[in-house]
Amino acid sequence: MTEPLDPDLIALATPYALHAVSDSELADIERRVAAAPPAVAQAFDDEVRAVRETMAVVSAATAVEPPGQLRDRLLTEVSADPVRALRPRIKRWQAAVLAAAAALVIGLGALGVGMALRPAPSPSTAEQVFAAPDVRTVSGQIPSGGTATVVFSREKNAGVLVMNNVAPPAPGTVYQMWLIGDKGPESAGTMDAKAVAPSTTAVLPDLGDSQTLAFTVEPPGGSAQPTSPPFAKLPLV
Amino acid sequence: MTILTEVARLPIVTTELDALLRQVARRDVEAFASFYDQTRARVFGLVTRVLRDPGYSEETTQDIYLQVWRTADSYNPAAGSPLAWLLTLAHRRAVDRVRSEQAASQRESRYGSANVDPPSDLVADSVILRDERRQVADCLDSLTDAQREAIQLAYYDGLTYAQVSERLSANLATIKSRMRDAIRGLRRCLGIP
Repeated sequence: MTEPLDPDLIALATPYALHAVSDSELADIERRVAAAPPAVAQAFDDEVRAVRETMAVVSAATAVEPPGQLRDRLLTEVSADPVRALRPRIKRWQAAVLAAAAALVIGLGALGVGMALRPAPSPSTAEQVFAAPDVRTVSGQIPSGGTATVVFSREKNAGVLVMNNVAPPAPGTVYQMWLIGDKGPESAGTMDAKAVAPSTTAVLPDLGDSQTLAFTVEPPGGSAQPTSPPFAKLPLV
Repeated sequence: MTILTEVARLPIVTTELDALLRQVARRDVEAFASFYDQTRARVFGLVTRVLRDPGYSEETTQDIYLQVWRTADSYNPAAGSPLAWLLTLAHRRAVDRVRSEQAASQRESRYGSANVDPPSDLVADSVILRDERRQVADCLDSLTDAQREAIQLAYYDGLTYAQVSERLSANLATIKSRMRDAIRGLRRCLGIP
């Protein structure tokens, strides 16, 4: 692996940057780059970067306008994203919930998940999760009462969190969710008292490599990193 | 083949996208809308080119921009331009979708191996994109057929370089260097530093 210039590795930079390697080879290349001498890693990164800048410009050649409704859907979805929004937008969120109700109940019914829930604010992501071939469900009791359930799909890189009968956070605090992966906890958003009672659904849009969903109590607005031990954890496996 | 003189630098205003991304990272919905408007045709066009299905392409484009909304704070200006960050993310998603459906092996290139022009009635019609598109088309023309074919199969059809090598009955080293030469040719022609 440590020949001075490692031409074999550098020759893989272009296929790597074009996503033209298999997943197993991708992992192998990344291991080799991580273990390579700095000069080799730098040469590899420079080449990857040049390929990506080039293809970014080349994208002009294939540009096509998307349908107009996509813009509306995206803006509705990001405006109503209660998990990630720093300022909860309850009104819009509730409107989205009502609109999504039928689709979600059908989705869960087909899976045989028997629970009373209010639907997620984001029908498209949630529907995709429910329809995914690798859909999984994990559920756990919250020590202070109630249950948390996550229906998720690695393929869709998303999950739907359902909390039933969970007591709202104490005044002046919020619940913050954390997706914990190799790089430590990453905030998956906060829920204040209004968002929690009495039954709550939220989309977890980007699972990444996270293996655990953890809940902590945090000051309003949430924290960059957990400031208290988790009061509940769900393994996402 | 077109003889090219000095090519004007790409017209997308990178610093502007950069600033928008920082605002998106702070959950600014209006900044997100602007970012979408400035980049949507490139993203949707690329995804459509890879997936060849309008419904899948719309879904995947939606996923891509939701990922932008959620991960804008992971964009690192030192690692490349915002447009390269976005299109890398978009291409990865599109290729993952193709491979997860194992459709790549069953699909045949609808447009032929050397043709990268989308149907003209769907082409995004901003003046800036139109000019840039002509430059890029000229630069693609300046590649050899073998180089264009390698880019078509690997980048737009989502094949791995090993699959490209099988498809073309050429050895792996040949395919890798064809891909590299194609990119170098484009890069030089487009005046990318």
